[in-house]
Amino acid sequence: MYTSDELSRVSFIVMREMRLPLITLLTVYSVAIFGMVSIPGPEIDGERAYLSIFHAFYFMTYTATTTGFGEIPFEFSDGQRLWAIVCLYVSVVTWFYALGSIVRLFQNEFFKRAVDELRFALSVNRIGAPFYIICGFGDTGSVLVRGLNDAGMHAVVIDENVERIQALKLRNYKTSVPGLYADASVPKHLLEAGVTNQFCKAVVAITNKEDVNLKISAVARLLNPDVGILTMSKVDVFEETLATLGGEVHIVDPFKTFAKVLNACINNPAFYALNNWLVGDKGATLQSYVHPPVGGWIICGYGRMGMEANHVLTMNGVETAVIDPHARKKEEEVATYIIGSANAKTLNKAGIANAVGLLAAADDDGQNLSVLLNARSLNQNLFTIVRQNSHQNELAFAKADADMIMQPTLVTARKILLLLIAPLLKHFFRYLLAKEPGREKLLEHVIKSLREKIGDKKPLLVTIDFTREKSSAVIQCLDAGEHVLIGDIISDPRNRDRDLDLMVFVIRSAGKEVVLPAREHKIREGDQLLFCGTAYAKQLLKSTLNNEYTLHYLRTGKFKLSSYFTQWYARKFTKA
Amino acid sequence: MNLEKVIFGFFIVLSLTLNVGFVLGEYSNPDHHSVYELFGVVVVNLIATGLKLGDRSQIGALLLATSLVADFELIAAALEWTFAVHIIGTGITPEVMTSIVSLAGGALVANIISVVILVSETLISRM
Repeated sequence: MYTSDELSRVSFIVMREMRLPLITLLTVYSVAIFGMVSIPGPEIDGERAYLSIFHAFYFMTYTATTTGFGEIPFEFSDGQRLWAIVCLYVSVVTWFYALGSIVRLFQNEFFKRAVDELRFALSVNRIGAPFYIICGFGDTGSVLVRGLNDAGMHAVVIDENVERIQALKLRNYKTSVPGLYADASVPKHLLEAGVTNQFCKAVVAITNKEDVNLKISAVARLLNPDVGILTMSKVDVFEETLATLGGEVHIVDPFKTFAKVLNACINNPAFYALNNWLVGDKGATLQSYVHPPVGGWIICGYGRMGMEANHVLTMNGVETAVIDPHARKKEEEVATYIIGSANAKTLNKAGIANAVGLLAAADDDGQNLSVLLNARSLNQNLFTIVRQNSHQNELAFAKADADMIMQPTLVTARKILLLLIAPLLKHFFRYLLAKEPGREKLLEHVIKSLREKIGDKKPLLVTIDFTREKSSAVIQCLDAGEHVLIGDIISDPRNRDRDLDLMVFVIRSAGKEVVLPAREHKIREGDQLLFCGTAYAKQLLKSTLNNEYTLHYLRTGKFKLSSYFTQWYARKFTKA
Repeated sequence: MNLEKVIFGFFIVLSLTLNVGFVLGEYSNPDHHSVYELFGVVVVNLIATGLKLGDRSQIGALLLATSLVADFELIAAALEWTFAVHIIGTGITPEVMTSIVSLAGGALVANIISVVILVSETLISRM
């Protein structure tokens, strides 16, 4: 256990720092008490009175702490009073010195860090359920942690910025999310975050520095060969290194993801609508499809996003014009390349009057918004896509009324969230998008049923594990040699003739994924199932999986006898 | 309709109503509390407990627990009655009556919880 190391370190620091103050205090006390005991007191009833050791200690206790109850248990002699003066000054000064040492220790930055690390490691150990380590708590990290928390999963956070960790502690999460202010690429801190803990499922490296992400991934892989690694990268060189780390590694490139989404949007608007609706995009519905027009497009800002978008657009037969302050880096399939910043002059030169679409893809929000306004004044009917770099500018972008807003942090967070809470979803999407006959019809059918079942309610993606702990009733049935069908568990316990408001997307049986499985599909132990449904349907389904009586009713339509007496009665009298 | 649930519900509600009947009245007045009624409550409660044995669901466990609580308190009340009348021989004095009625009152609370659980479970599953 890593925490025992930390604990001994902290207690060692406390002991070492307190050694001298404690010894001084002890010496002062013992000399003072010895003096008080041996100095003759007043004469009482003809006998010389002395203070007992207990009374001397009592006197010192209230004197050294400046409480001053007076002369107890009897009026002192002048000799005792003289000694009391000496004791008072010396012991009070010693007390202040000892207290000062403690306060100084607690204000020591190094000590505070050690205590924080210990606390963090202890709270990680206490989780006792599967959790994810999130390295980096910026825009992406906070969306991701919120999403995981809503899905009922645990996360621990490491961030280099102390303010972000303080902000984390003020958020209203359903479960506690331990946070540490530290450099996540230092192996010690990953150990404190529980990278070797049996419950640690994955390390998510999403700091805003590429090289730090790479280092975190490599360190995590070395410390725990089995842990999943998810990381964000926008640079090809890093992506190649990451891919060769071995084990389960997912690299999320927000621009490539966006390019895929843009491509889907052009070729398959229904899929784009479904995707947006599932990830919970604001205002996304299954009714309205977005159709980016095909014609002349202008791309302002030719960075990673501009390049990826240009690639997709030209692939779809769109003629593009690029405006960028930097000179063209390499030969690309760009029809027009204008060097300069985007303004009325350059936009006109790029042919804004005849263009159908505009992509503002600079890494500066102010520039993107002004390009948008500029272009609109020149051509009212433009289809606009704008890149939003900072979450803080949300309100301005919402007012800008662009047809599509691309927020790299949000794209990354959602992609990672889906990988974590619905790992089977990619199989579902891959199946729907495969270039085979009938798939478009199928997609329309999926959207139609989702619209009927969920409608305006919030869709939830839920992954169900058919394991002994999570679906006890199902496994019990299987152990008894009976079959449990998908159709059984998705029926409504209130009326088994109808289904719950959910749609089963994928089931993974014995390493094989079956997309949109039939109701007759037999469930086996260890299977994993992904469905999309309402919160209420999720609740009912999960209770069915663990209630043998409900499950029996759904499977057979008969009520299972629950009490020993009625079971005995049924055996005795119905069979005979 | 589920026949088992009917029998279940019958005994649970019967034991609650009998229990109320016994507790009703001036609590220290032996004239207001019949020993036969107490006998009936004990018997019906034990039957209700017996019917609850074997249910492996969470709610079944909770129902069994409340039923056991009611059993213990009612049996304690019955024992106190027996001791007072037959073994110590003081007879049913107001002090003894008060003690018996408070035990039965405790059992009444357990029975109320039983019925609340039963009703709410039925309302949630609406089966």
